[in-house]
Amino acid sequence: MAAARGKTQRRRTATHESFLRHGRFLFLRAALILCAAAITAYILQKPIPRPSGGTALGYVLGTIGALLIVWLALLGIRKRAITAGHYSLKAWVSAHVYLGLSLIVVATLHTGFQFGWNVHTLAYGLMLLVIVSGAIGVWAYATLPRTLSDNRGETTRKQMLAQIASLDEQILEAAQPLSRQNADIVRLSLEETDLGGGFWRRLLARYGDCANGQALSKIGGALRGASGPEAVALAKVEDLMQRKAEALALARRQMHITAMLEAWLFVHVPATFALLAALTAHIVSVFLYW
Amino acid sequence: MTQAISLRLITRQAGGGEIVRTRRIETGEVLIGRAPACDIHLPDLSVDMEHALLRALGQGRISIESLTGEPFQAGGKPALRVELDAANAQVVSFGAYELVFSLGTEDDVVVTVLRKEDDYHPTPGLFSLRAAMFGRRRMAWTLGLAILALCLILPVAGAAWFKNTHIHPDQQWSTGPLSKAHAFLDKDCQACHQKAFVAVRDTACLSCHQSGRDPAVQAASDARVTREGSPFLPLLMSDHAAHAKLTRAMPPPPTITGKVAGVFQMALNHPTDRCASCHREHTTAPPDPNVPKTADVVRPGKPALIVVTDCAGCHSRLKMRLPSTGLIDTPDWNRHPDFRPLVTVGFDGPQPRMQRISVTQHPLEANGLTFSHRVHMSATGGVARQGEVLGAAKGYGAALTCQSCHRPDGGGFKPIEMERDCGSCHSLAFAGGPGNLQTLRHHDMRNILGVLRGSLTPATGPKVDPGVLRRAMAPGGLCVDCHTIRPSGGPFGADISPVHLANRVLPWGDFNHGVAAHAGVGAGSAACADCHKAKTSDKTQDYLIEGIATCKACHGKTEHQTPAFAGAQCSECHSFHQPGEAPRTGQDRLFTVLGLPAGEKPRGLPTLGPQAP
Repeated sequence: MAAARGKTQRRRTATHESFLRHGRFLFLRAALILCAAAITAYILQKPIPRPSGGTALGYVLGTIGALLIVWLALLGIRKRAITAGHYSLKAWVSAHVYLGLSLIVVATLHTGFQFGWNVHTLAYGLMLLVIVSGAIGVWAYATLPRTLSDNRGETTRKQMLAQIASLDEQILEAAQPLSRQNADIVRLSLEETDLGGGFWRRLLARYGDCANGQALSKIGGALRGASGPEAVALAKVEDLMQRKAEALALARRQMHITAMLEAWLFVHVPATFALLAALTAHIVSVFLYW
Repeated sequence: MTQAISLRLITRQAGGGEIVRTRRIETGEVLIGRAPACDIHLPDLSVDMEHALLRALGQGRISIESLTGEPFQAGGKPALRVELDAANAQVVSFGAYELVFSLGTEDDVVVTVLRKEDDYHPTPGLFSLRAAMFGRRRMAWTLGLAILALCLILPVAGAAWFKNTHIHPDQQWSTGPLSKAHAFLDKDCQACHQKAFVAVRDTACLSCHQSGRDPAVQAASDARVTREGSPFLPLLMSDHAAHAKLTRAMPPPPTITGKVAGVFQMALNHPTDRCASCHREHTTAPPDPNVPKTADVVRPGKPALIVVTDCAGCHSRLKMRLPSTGLIDTPDWNRHPDFRPLVTVGFDGPQPRMQRISVTQHPLEANGLTFSHRVHMSATGGVARQGEVLGAAKGYGAALTCQSCHRPDGGGFKPIEMERDCGSCHSLAFAGGPGNLQTLRHHDMRNILGVLRGSLTPATGPKVDPGVLRRAMAPGGLCVDCHTIRPSGGPFGADISPVHLANRVLPWGDFNHGVAAHAGVGAGSAACADCHKAKTSDKTQDYLIEGIATCKACHGKTEHQTPAFAGAQCSECHSFHQPGEAPRTGQDRLFTVLGLPAGEKPRGLPTLGPQAP
């Protein structure tokens, strides 16, 4: 029995495939069939007066779209329950990605290409925002983990932080003999350096105004005008700050990649909630003012 | 005597616990600074090498004075010199270090030096974006609830609050623009959407468009519509037929999709026999105007009037669905039945007996007159000569034309009046006596009889002479020229038949004699003689209407076939909402407006020029 179980596990490992390739692109095929069916029906219909959400096909596509959206949103609940088998999380994610993309076709045909400044187009716009952010997520998950791993090398994130903290201690110690003027430069590095920064700073990796960098450029000038023990201390501090700059750059690259890996979720999840709300308003309002 | 100072230096260890080092300084002066040689050595870069001097002043009082001009913090405020009472447990800060003063047990001042704890300890969590954003979940719920509140709850619950304001939260639910005529209702959704979750019902439409209402009710309705901002008065709509008949006449949907949709619509209380089933709002015609089954009024990009079931839909196999109908099935223009005019076939007493007879059966009319169109329209002969004699001043001057008797009036003709249209030649004057020329009042039969009997003057008068009447009604008599004389059991042995000249002979179709193509104006157009063979008609009984083939010479033809090509849509002659009339074109309505008395507002068109209030 144990041997048999072992074989099964080995087999699973051997046939590992990404969520995109799950079941030989089962859900890609399903999504393509759904899109093809929707497009065919759209072409064959004779809508009166024009294609819209109010025709028979419009209602059908709208119902399919709404059910899909609700089901796709349920991934947020499903992913918290770890199970295995045919309805594994991987299968769900695969279906989530492909059926989610098919919504572009289904929902667009549902609109009949009628758009306006109203709650209905708001729901459509939010849906596109969710889909586009999700597509960026798929790209991020497919490419960025390797980049993240390559950047990190053998260093853990904890070690990166510890290294910066250690360098700060060394700088503090080395700066003890410095005059107030030069000590203030060092304090800039020690007290004003913001490792991560805000959303955009992380996402765009904009650290041109880094306090440690400013301190480094100032300390070079101070060193040229210094002599004796002050110069010795400054040289040591400069060396340590240089090392700190390298450590900061490594950590910040890690944060930048992590931000790119995570940023889409900060749009995807809130936009999904907004979409569910707008979708509710869309459906209720349509039938309320039928 | 100088008070001694005891120093307690407390260093907290990373793993918890403290190391306390004490030192007693008898001189009563303590140097504070970053330099290792200082009594209180504070390795903080914001502290100067020899920053301040602490002095014991006796009686538990101390002073701290900056030596470099750089301040320190005393009681939370920057200071260069302070005097303190050690008994009050005062705190003085230099950078990250705090000096806490107290009185010692050996008549000394105790200074406890502590390093302020740094609360910031970065963890690997710092690498996640979560460290830089406020929570996804919070953001998601905030956004979702905000949209729900603004886009759903506010329009539902806020309708009452915003009733008297310019804000209409439910406008965001509008799926598209309203047609020009209804645009004034753009901010009043509930004018049409009267009940929640119930599709727009006819009562909403008829509240403005109902025809046949009491004039006072109609005026009140018009006033309300005008007050609400309608650019013009609503068109009034009549029923095409009784609703029950219409329902039975409608064919089932031709496709499976349509049938399924029909079942759903029934189940969801969304009937297809409403005004709104045909008249769609909040939508625009698609860019391609060649969309099937749309009316010819559909304009790209404009809100549309849509014909869901076209005329042929009901009028094909109508007899099968509605056996009681007297209408003949008309699947299309090519199979349109020939005309069945309403023919006067005789009289029941004074009332004409009307019967619809197809022109293919060559109906004979018995309208009570004796009249030859051929004689009257001949270019030569007595009638033509009489026209010349009468001259242009009296509207003649030549052989008679159609218009000599049939006087155009809009799209039709004024009813024939004997005195006006015949009286120039057929004088009713007679010699009542020498030098007494009198005229019979043609329409006043009682007077005519009285005069002819000698009992009345042309105005009034008694006396009867049956001989005169007999002569008048005998062959060659005055009446016989024009009137049908029928035998009678009365005192004269004969009687003048009643006369009925029909002004409309096709009850369900409309024909506009006024348009150029029907008035012989322009290439290929139809002149009177093309449809009415009057010039060869000798008998009054001749029914002078050609069959539908005459219409088909132009209607349904292309521009390559005839220069007077014209459409073959049912709406060329039949209006849905005004049975018996043709739909009014913009041109028709314009002429109506131009012909309206000043102050009267037209329906379905903006008012031209200044109008009386």
